[in-house]
Amino acid sequence: MTRSRRFLLLLALSLTLTTGCFGKHEIDDLAMVMAVGLDPGQTPGSVRITAQIARPSDVRGQTGAPTAGSGEPIWTVSGEGDTIMAAIRSIARFSSRRVFWAHNQIIIINEKLARRGIKDALDFFSRNHELRMRTWVVVCSEEARKMVTLKTGLEMIPGVSLHKLFRYSQVVSEAPRTDMRTLSAAYLSESTHPVLARVQSRSRLISVQEGSQEHGSNPQVELSGTAVFKKDKMLGWLDMEQSRGLLWFIEPVESRIVVLPCPSGDPEQNESKNGKISLEIKHNTFEVTPHYDGKKISFTAHLNADIDLVEVGCETNLSNYDLMKQLESKVRAKLRREIDNTVQAAQHTYGVDILELGKIFHNVYPAEWKKISKRWSELFPTVDVRVEIEAGIKSPVLLQKPLQPGK
Amino acid sequence: MRVQITNGMLIALIINMVYAKAIGLTQGIMAREAGADMWIATLLATAQGMFVMWVIARTQQRLPQLNFIEHASTLFGKWAGRLVGILFIVFFLGAFGSVMITFVYHLMDYFLPEMPILIFVIVGTTVGVYAIYFGLEVVARFAFVGLFSIIALNVLLMLGSLKDFDIRELLPVFQNGFVHTAVASRHNDTDWAMATMMTAMIYNHVKSPIVCTRSGVLGILYGGLSIAMWPILEAGVLSPEVTSQYIVACMQMARSAEIGLFIHRYEMIMVAFFATSALVQTAMCLFCASLAASQVIGLKDYRPLVLPIALLFGGFGYWTVLDHNQAMNMLSKHWPMVALPLAFGIPLLLYLLGFLRRKKWTNH
Repeated sequence: MTRSRRFLLLLALSLTLTTGCFGKHEIDDLAMVMAVGLDPGQTPGSVRITAQIARPSDVRGQTGAPTAGSGEPIWTVSGEGDTIMAAIRSIARFSSRRVFWAHNQIIIINEKLARRGIKDALDFFSRNHELRMRTWVVVCSEEARKMVTLKTGLEMIPGVSLHKLFRYSQVVSEAPRTDMRTLSAAYLSESTHPVLARVQSRSRLISVQEGSQEHGSNPQVELSGTAVFKKDKMLGWLDMEQSRGLLWFIEPVESRIVVLPCPSGDPEQNESKNGKISLEIKHNTFEVTPHYDGKKISFTAHLNADIDLVEVGCETNLSNYDLMKQLESKVRAKLRREIDNTVQAAQHTYGVDILELGKIFHNVYPAEWKKISKRWSELFPTVDVRVEIEAGIKSPVLLQKPLQPGK
Repeated sequence: MRVQITNGMLIALIINMVYAKAIGLTQGIMAREAGADMWIATLLATAQGMFVMWVIARTQQRLPQLNFIEHASTLFGKWAGRLVGILFIVFFLGAFGSVMITFVYHLMDYFLPEMPILIFVIVGTTVGVYAIYFGLEVVARFAFVGLFSIIALNVLLMLGSLKDFDIRELLPVFQNGFVHTAVASRHNDTDWAMATMMTAMIYNHVKSPIVCTRSGVLGILYGGLSIAMWPILEAGVLSPEVTSQYIVACMQMARSAEIGLFIHRYEMIMVAFFATSALVQTAMCLFCASLAASQVIGLKDYRPLVLPIALLFGGFGYWTVLDHNQAMNMLSKHWPMVALPLAFGIPLLLYLLGFLRRKKWTNH
């Protein structure tokens, strides 16, 4: 075959192979889901799915001032079916674009559905190759449909606001940051049970434009505790204090605020009646050590925290040094109470290992774990968890002494 | 004149030959057997691969101008050479099937589910055919690009997932016992087998056969290090339980990685970088099988056999990947039973039996 014939053959082959792309998805043919809500459907056993879909032409322009289209940056739709897939396909009956999951930021599950079990959601979204494993998964006691339609946060698209709420939730450390990856790991774990953040809507938004529709208070989505699961079924909630205690066990706590009443400078008085003090935990190490004497399993949870004094809201004649020394025992007691409450809730209220204690025991005592792993759910409520707190208030932050009136 | 490649090219080829399948499908299978110890199984397999590579190099230094088939033919007669040649073709047929499973499932399951499987197989095979038509050196040079891709992918993945790494997921070590972990390492052995068997076929093309022993063993070691990062990260970031759930575990890892706010999910980066390694694998499987077939038949050039081999291998690859269950069954159950006796057996037999024919190779 001559060189020119070979070239022609190659050209002909290229023409047949490059006429188009299999499985192509043009961007303007896609309905990009930004948040999704799962509720029980109207018929028993069914699922209702609510998808918040971005309307790209209306997301342009300045925040709050779309420049084109209908003005609504999102299009929220819902569908119902016996399974999640069937519910999604029911959206396809009226959606002018193909529903596309790659940009979904959050999955909000209604409490009733969560109590029924979330295995179907976990399985479906794990199999969906478009979905990110970083997609947040949360539970709400209200209808998930309402949460998905709520305009919340600073971003044009509420789904993005919710994503950022969790991305930066380390600042408050008050709810677990569970995404598809960590939820799957907890569900598949031999000993640990899943926990999901709880969100709720609460009136928070205040508009400065008098007379506008938004004047007054509008609901915003906020973190409000933790949903506890046994395998895939939700058992109940942890309140905010218990959630704070839980986070030490399951994820790194970057920052925490502890609010305490002002101590009085007068030794006769216990606490100053007015004003409070804010302390910020800046650096910490939290370590759980298992112990096994051949009969009894116990754990020591040791928290070592470096704390800054960030706000003193009372008049005090104490020096910074004395103030900080007096507060140390109080902050230790408060942190211990939080952790004890969480352990109490996990062991006795719900009886499920959400603290990863089984995993820690397994790591240190692998041979013993083999003997007790089948009975861990029975043993977990009986194990002793001792909490040790070392908390040092190290810095008064900028000020050499508390502010006092000069008069 | 015989085509020659440098020792660096040999190392690049070895690393490429083991990488693509070893980081994903193999780790998923090993996680199902060894749990968190899959990284130890990977290291054990690397040691075994280094040993086999050493045996191959020692064997071939007896007759450095010949490959394994010619070697067997010279020492034990033509029919022995032909038998070894046929066994090599069988090995690379199976290896091509396993490479196709890796190549097709990465692309189809995560990117192009609507694309007909046949297109993936045709593209993978055609690129391989095109590359080997121009000879070994072209593929070897291409392997350098693959090597760069492997390093880039490893660095990117490490940056994107280290923050979620939890060393507790790797503990306790040997939780299922040493024997169980060592047995699980057979899956990674099948990856090294592709590299060692390839080296047995192309050893005589390497410029400096003396340095070649070191290059071969080092190639396996470097390859092992570049692969060992994956099971460690997969267990530490995803957890062994999650890793074991997936067919292509490394893509799940890529789905979970992110750098800052801007680089989310690495699937595209992953495929762009890993595809080079997968295509080097298809090309080398076709090359080695064509070369073996030409030596079995007695042809001087392998090129006339490239097309028939490509059609046979392509057809087998297509049949293998048609059904996920069948493919995974083949990969996890049948393939090690075929690959390992050949990959361990042929070099060890030639090495040991070679002592009986000492006169022949010392006179040669």
